[in-house]
Amino acid sequence: MEIEKKLKILADSAKYDASCSSSGSKRTNHKDGFGNADVSGICHSWGADGRCISLLKILLSNACIYDCKYCVNRCSNSIPRATFTPREVAELTMNFYKRNYIEGLFLSSAVIKNPDYTMERLYETVLLLRQEYHFHGYIHVKTIPGCSKELIDKLGKLVDRTSINIELPSQTSLKLLAPQKEKAGIIAPMQYISQQIHTSSQEKSKWKEKFVPAGQTTQLMIGASPETDYTIMTLSESLYKKMHLKRVYYSAYVSINQDALLPALPQPPLLRENRLYQADWLLRFYGFTVDELLDQNHPNFNTLLDPKCDWALRHLEKFPVEVNTADYATLLRVPGIGVISAKRIITARREFHLNFENLKKLGIVLKRARYFITCDGKYFDKISSFQESFIEENLLYLERASTPASTYIQTSLFDTFLPTKEDKIKSLTGAF
Amino acid sequence: MALSFSCNQKVYLYDGSFEGLLNIVFDCYVQKQIPSRIIEEKQYIPNLLDTVEIYHTDYTKADRIFHGILKSISYQTLYENYYAFLANVPEKEMSILLYLLNGFSIGPKINTMLSLDFVFQVHSLRKKMLSEAHKLKGLLRFKEVGDNLFYACIHPTHNVIENVGQHFVRRLPHQNFIIHDATDRGLLFLYNTHQYQIQSDKNFMVPTISEREKEYQQLWKTFFQTIAIEERKNPRLQMQFMPKKYWKDLVELS
Repeated sequence: MEIEKKLKILADSAKYDASCSSSGSKRTNHKDGFGNADVSGICHSWGADGRCISLLKILLSNACIYDCKYCVNRCSNSIPRATFTPREVAELTMNFYKRNYIEGLFLSSAVIKNPDYTMERLYETVLLLRQEYHFHGYIHVKTIPGCSKELIDKLGKLVDRTSINIELPSQTSLKLLAPQKEKAGIIAPMQYISQQIHTSSQEKSKWKEKFVPAGQTTQLMIGASPETDYTIMTLSESLYKKMHLKRVYYSAYVSINQDALLPALPQPPLLRENRLYQADWLLRFYGFTVDELLDQNHPNFNTLLDPKCDWALRHLEKFPVEVNTADYATLLRVPGIGVISAKRIITARREFHLNFENLKKLGIVLKRARYFITCDGKYFDKISSFQESFIEENLLYLERASTPASTYIQTSLFDTFLPTKEDKIKSLTGAF
Repeated sequence: MALSFSCNQKVYLYDGSFEGLLNIVFDCYVQKQIPSRIIEEKQYIPNLLDTVEIYHTDYTKADRIFHGILKSISYQTLYENYYAFLANVPEKEMSILLYLLNGFSIGPKINTMLSLDFVFQVHSLRKKMLSEAHKLKGLLRFKEVGDNLFYACIHPTHNVIENVGQHFVRRLPHQNFIIHDATDRGLLFLYNTHQYQIQSDKNFMVPTISEREKEYQQLWKTFFQTIAIEERKNPRLQMQFMPKKYWKDLVELS
């Protein structure tokens, strides 16, 4: 088969994987080598769906023996099948890299024959790139659930990042939709990799190569199974805490397969995916816990407000915050103030007293923040305005104005922009 | 607190180089006077009301300021001001001048005084310039034009060629390449696997690409079109990350 045809088939099969980042690794170039990794990661292009393209994301093969209901490559689907040879992948990677199309390789594969066989083929490809082609760019390789520890060990020393996709956030869904996969087969290698990463960073002198220097990630599918946001976020939180994952990706389920067990979604749940990412950031960089954001009575995120605003509105007793005295952790919890803004405020206020004017000059966006802060005891409006109804109305207005119309209802001249009474009740109770 | 210098209401013209600007900083420091405007000689449009003074770069003075910054202010100050200088924004010179003059009297603390207008201005210019450089490290496309010789054309807003070029020297040390800033600046970054050089050349002829190159361009276009998910189509988001001004230099979109 022609290389272009293969590329088309195997990129098409790989596109549902959300992971694209190329950050976190400081791999340097050697004397005879090609490439290095940039610690902040570099995006090389953006596809028509607005997702960044930074790695050559392909499958080694899409001829799968499994029949997971949600997957485009399941063996019961009649789609064109193809398999790359390791040399073809290496040539493509090198030539794309030399032209600066990509930051590295993201290699995954359908399960051919059995997990170990597949993993060996992946290892072969990466070894060829690293040893024969002297490639020192970024490589992300999927770990195949159920493969042996020896292969994980060998591969971990060559790649920058590895990932095992959980996809279905509960064991019941897994049994139902991916009957050939087992929870243990996914969790055990993840645990093992996390352990090895830890050991290699502790015993640096014994390890010649760093083990998976950019850490491991996983992906959860959103909307194919009935789990609530609360279940999903609790799982993410424990993955971050126990497995020390670098990222959990959320992928809105696209209805590709017709199956009685799968929901037929007219459109992928993109807004829900967005809310989960926002909450994920709150967990990783803002010091929030899942139980602060959601609970059994509010198991799903508010679709009208982002999770941070939603939290702040429910905890108005913690606000307004005085920007000139509040500590870093408190500043971070103000809607509209992020890591960069909070750090900037702390640096600037060592030299000057801050007022609203100064904050604007510092480039702090006050669109949301102004409802939750005071400068020298002054609120931006009458202090009597500091009330739930006033703030909420304004925040909802902001959110609507900044979200593309297609996400909500098509707006027309006759629409009222302010939320209806019903909307307000919904946003308070979280019931949809 | 910020120093106040008396303003002599003059317009200083310089040659547009960083050394030229440092030279002005030296004289202002000695004379305790600042001009009302500093502008590159080429860009200046004469005005009846202006009193003009033309500066010819004195490299010894520039050198003294350069080392003075490192010694009495800080490395970060030099970093901020040099990258801010490379931003293509008019009026940047006055902010840099005030930053450095105040830096000499305040010391390294100047770097945190973000509520002084000129400090914030310089920091945001540095950010603008470096963020475009970072973007182009991804969006630049090499084309094979000879045996192990690659050519890339860029149209950046700011003067990013040095920063971008050095990145590729580290990344692809065994590849001969030319990066061409084809805007009015007309700069070439040449690298021959041993050393690099930046040249000004306004009439550079764009070389023709090889047959092999066309094949890989085709493969890349195929990959680019396939990897997008049809159901998630979002051209607005794509354009937000990848503004249209960069499209003409991209293999996959031109």
